[in-house]
Amino acid sequence: MADMDVKIEDKEERRDRGGGGGGGGGRGRSNGNNRKRRYDDEDDNQYDRRGPPQRRRRDDGPPPRRRYEEPPLAKLRRMLLNVASSTQLPQDEVTYIAKTLGENFDDEELRSQFFDILVQLIIEQPFKIPFVAAVAFYGNDVKPEITVEAIKRVAARTQEALNAGQWTEFKLMLRFLACLQSLYQDTGIFVFLGQLFDTVVDLQSANENDVVGIELVKIILLTIPYALVSGGSRFHEQAAELLKNTGIVASNVLPMEGLIHSYVRDSEETPISYLSVIGLLQTQLTNEAQSGWTFACIPRFDANALQMTADEEALPSAPPTHLFPTFTIPSPVNPGPKPLFPEAYFSLFADQDIETVPKTTDVAASLIRDAIVDTIDQMDFNREVVAKFLVDLDCYWSLETFAKRGIPFDKFRELVGDKILWKSEDMVIDAIFSQLLKLPSPEHKLVYYHSLITQSCKVAPAAIAPSLGRAIRCLYRSLHIMDLELVNRFLDWFSHHLSNFEFRWRWTEWVEDLHLPNLHPKKAFVIAALDKEIRLSFAKRIRSTVPEEMHPLIPERLDEDNSPDFKYDNVDTPFAAEGQTLLVQLRKKASTEDTQETINSIHEKAAQLGIADPLVPSTDAFVTAICRLGAKSLSHVLSCIERGKERLLKIAESSPAARRQIVASVVEYWKDQPGVAVRIIDILLNYTILAPITVVQWVFGDHMGAGEALTESWVFEMVANTVAKVTKRNRQIAVARLQKGLPQEQVEMVDATLTKDRDASRELFKYIEDAVKGVAEGASDRLIEKESSGELSAESAELIRNWGRRWHTVFVRKAQVEESVVGEDAVEARIRLLAAEPESAPEPMQVEGNGVTKAEVEANGDDEML
Amino acid sequence: MPAIRSTIERLDKPSSYASAKVRIPLSIQKRRPRRNDDGEPSPEPEDKLKDATTLYVGNLSFYTTEEQIHELFSKCGEIKRLVMGLDRFQKTPCGFCFVEYYTHQDALDCMKYIGGTKLDERVIRTDLDEGFAEGRQYGRGKSGGQVRDEYRNEYDPGRGGFGRAVDEYGEERDYR
Repeated sequence: MADMDVKIEDKEERRDRGGGGGGGGGRGRSNGNNRKRRYDDEDDNQYDRRGPPQRRRRDDGPPPRRRYEEPPLAKLRRMLLNVASSTQLPQDEVTYIAKTLGENFDDEELRSQFFDILVQLIIEQPFKIPFVAAVAFYGNDVKPEITVEAIKRVAARTQEALNAGQWTEFKLMLRFLACLQSLYQDTGIFVFLGQLFDTVVDLQSANENDVVGIELVKIILLTIPYALVSGGSRFHEQAAELLKNTGIVASNVLPMEGLIHSYVRDSEETPISYLSVIGLLQTQLTNEAQSGWTFACIPRFDANALQMTADEEALPSAPPTHLFPTFTIPSPVNPGPKPLFPEAYFSLFADQDIETVPKTTDVAASLIRDAIVDTIDQMDFNREVVAKFLVDLDCYWSLETFAKRGIPFDKFRELVGDKILWKSEDMVIDAIFSQLLKLPSPEHKLVYYHSLITQSCKVAPAAIAPSLGRAIRCLYRSLHIMDLELVNRFLDWFSHHLSNFEFRWRWTEWVEDLHLPNLHPKKAFVIAALDKEIRLSFAKRIRSTVPEEMHPLIPERLDEDNSPDFKYDNVDTPFAAEGQTLLVQLRKKASTEDTQETINSIHEKAAQLGIADPLVPSTDAFVTAICRLGAKSLSHVLSCIERGKERLLKIAESSPAARRQIVASVVEYWKDQPGVAVRIIDILLNYTILAPITVVQWVFGDHMGAGEALTESWVFEMVANTVAKVTKRNRQIAVARLQKGLPQEQVEMVDATLTKDRDASRELFKYIEDAVKGVAEGASDRLIEKESSGELSAESAELIRNWGRRWHTVFVRKAQVEESVVGEDAVEARIRLLAAEPESAPEPMQVEGNGVTKAEVEANGDDEML
Repeated sequence: MPAIRSTIERLDKPSSYASAKVRIPLSIQKRRPRRNDDGEPSPEPEDKLKDATTLYVGNLSFYTTEEQIHELFSKCGEIKRLVMGLDRFQKTPCGFCFVEYYTHQDALDCMKYIGGTKLDERVIRTDLDEGFAEGRQYGRGKSGGQVRDEYRNEYDPGRGGFGRAVDEYGEERDYR
């Protein structure tokens, strides 16, 4: 850690000299104004008239050098943004900031900008909240107006977040206020936490499936620790009281929670049993209460630090206390823009023999996790900075929280000794994976978490990479009991990650699993991972990165860089001549009549052969020809589809078997590169040549066999993509319905569309559920047949049933999630909420205005008191 | 109230090149005052990119295929259109492309999550783009590819070896 910090310090130094302003990522665009202002300031300084501070002058000028005085705002900005991220003692930093702010408090511009930064810092950099709050805390000693203003500004933003249902922001603002608990009169924040809990009771008694209440309980429970660290033992009783109340809600289990387990529910091998975030917090806080509410990981500050160092500048003898701001909890509570779901606590490293992360019974697990996750999710717009913060995790917690960075896992216990210290890299990786594998859906696009892991590996490869390796092994070990959607997220991440690191992975350790049947989840994973790697690269390259034992898993044909064979080139293929003719006709853009003639010829021959639906072989020939002609690239196939669009649409209209054949032909042509097939099917869906149900019917009706197809990751991908297309559209329609002031005729139109599409989506889900349920329960005819005939061993059949069960869980969940977002009840609830909103929905700016007014009343009260 | 600044830089801002490109050309600026007739300031250059759904993607290998690009870029959202950058004369890929999404948000996410990561083992560059127009798919270098590949001194096997001008003039390159 020391080494790292020295480096950071160096950078900080350089930044100062360069006159760059905000550091710690405060570089770039955001500096523009600062720098300009600083130059202006310089104009007042006669010695610096010739221009901005030049490093050169400092370098070549002999001593005594004239030191460039950094203007106060720039300095405050830089110090606040970088608080706690250098080797300096955070307490020294924050007291210095408070004093400097006090000295310049008359500067209105400076004051306004300082508090802008403060509020923004709370939202964007949650790690720094205790430190930022400490500035306001010491500010009370320096100049109580600092504290008043800080509370006022944060309170305004808190109210705004509460009104808008922006729960993360609300939680973070409240945390800042909690960190000042020792400065409030009476019970301070606990009155408000009590009010929040009353709201929870109302919400829960009105709706047993309420999730907003759960969110609020989470916020209450995550606020208590910070309030107690600041407020001390005189609030223990209030905290205990509150905790007694939240117990009922926290232990309640919602039906939805049954569907968001990371691992198969009843498995004995599960690495971590299901823990709801609030249930866990409740237990942890109860434990913490028994051990005297220590919250050891939260950084502390000496309340008397300023009083002791106070010299002749006499500080006010008894710094004033303040009223905790009053907030209005809107009724009805705005659930916010994003659908809420209960949350599970997920960890890869918790509760193992060697304790590298807090035990799940320790409140530190939740506190640190919560802050890491917010850091990740609030700053998705700069993964480089997030990665740096995560690597510096130990800077932002109590000194005795983490072990030295980068201690190898095998030496961890030996080097750390008896003390309980955690491995920061493990906690970071654990937290990122908890988001990557969050059910039902992650906060940001999955690829964000991919790129964040990549970035973290770049920032601190020696420390992060080994933790990552252990995470991968841990997930791989549990593949057979992991939720299938999560398996696919893991797969997608794994292959993408390797593509950023020369595809380096110790595959040899998985070679022993190659003897397993392809139906086995581990073998299926390896096959799928290679396919995904090839998609991002090419077969020859990937072959060169894996041990020879794995080469048979990569089709040899792919090494030659040419298009898949056109089966009609083989004269033994039925309808070979017609197939070849169709290819020529497509290439030469022959007339519809000429093409029809070829197709008719197939129909005639098919009829002679007694084929029930002659449209099937002709569709096969036509679609295969399109694939062959379009094999060069996706653009090529796109223009071929365009060319054959009319005919394809007609085929799809006229025969169910033929429209499924469209899917079949694409998949067959691209059998060695299923990724391409998946893309082409996607294109066909967009052209509405294929209906979503057709794809699903082909998968489960024609392709599934006895259930073997359920093991192929591309099949899952194809079905999941198809379902996602449908649900995305439905959500768009629902959003359209929820516009304010929609004219009645449009309301009716949108409602009609929504009803129709909702039913179609339910039909789709039902079809999938029924099909995989048959496999899961072993009721599928083909599965029974194959097992009883001995074609499938009992072991294989059980593997297949297991796949069926995992498919079933995924799609039941997806269906439930959609019901909770676009179902009749969900949409109607949103409509009622919309109607309850004030007529002229306030602009964001006005919302703040309102909030400020309210807070100002409070602050005025305070002023009088001063 | 001015827009709230982030405490850290954002990765989803257009480059200075992209911003400069959409700025009103000087010739027009001269004819027109900086302010519109009704006294409103003319729109900020970045405004033209404020709904951008297209990205310019650079530093691709000449051998990277559409399928590879699709595989990576569709992680940020459905791709509406992909236009490969081609050598003006040979009509072969010359190391860049345009990726068009359906929404602005997808394009921004791509800037944040994909720009600066690797595709085909090369770190690729993404930039917001005002939108593809016919003709822009061709390299503007003298020999048909991208200008940056004309004078490159380093050997880059993924982009045709040495710079083409270097190939042509060999030792003389330093004097030209």
